[in-house]
Amino acid sequence: MAARVLQQCVRSFARPSLRLCSNNLALRVTAAPAAAVHRPLSFAADSRRTRWLVQSRIPSVGVLCRQYGDLPPLTLETIKERVMYVLKLYDKINPEKLQTSSHFMKDLGLDSLDQVEIIMAMEDEFGFEIPDAEAEKLMTPEEIVQYVADKKDVYE
Amino acid sequence: MAAAARSQVMSLYRTMLRESAKFPSYNYRNYALRRVRDAFKANRNVEDPKAVERLMEEGRQTLALIQRQDLTVIVPSTLTLKHRVK
Repeated sequence: MAARVLQQCVRSFARPSLRLCSNNLALRVTAAPAAAVHRPLSFAADSRRTRWLVQSRIPSVGVLCRQYGDLPPLTLETIKERVMYVLKLYDKINPEKLQTSSHFMKDLGLDSLDQVEIIMAMEDEFGFEIPDAEAEKLMTPEEIVQYVADKKDVYE
Repeated sequence: MAAAARSQVMSLYRTMLRESAKFPSYNYRNYALRRVRDAFKANRNVEDPKAVERLMEEGRQTLALIQRQDLTVIVPSTLTLKHRVK
């Protein structure tokens, strides 16, 4: 979750700056010859800045190419990690008792309302909705992992 | 509690939480979430079908209220837009 937010921040940062860079570059290129005629000194400063801009563009091209699909690929292992991470953060679950096979109601002492909340947290984590009928059946972390994997087309 | 009533309660709970989460303001959002959770927790042991039905009706009305309040933040701008178009 935190990683995703961070990535979004980085992306929203990278995009405007890229646009800014290329705009600036175009401006400088047209402005530079005019400045050269009148003030050779300032031209030198300008061209240095231009060169710097050109250099700074190279890494941001990489950012441009990576605007999609930049989450690490889902595997059963990463799904399991994320599910367990969300469950550990849930205040009514004792992280020490938590196992992949533990039943929410029988082993962890939660009630059906808590289970609904857990499923909603999973929806937020993985970004898709789980219909009521299927949400009711998800009672262990294992089942959630299996369900998410099925929905996201993840196989061994 | 009958099975049908049970799933209705669960679905009402889900919808109310989901709608409450839409409040843009932190204070309202967290108040609504906490209020919904507390109300459901407080009445978790109600068995009498009539009482359940009464509480469900109360919940539906509260849900409508939450939905109306979510909207108030969005509506003014859309209204002014429509006025401008006309």
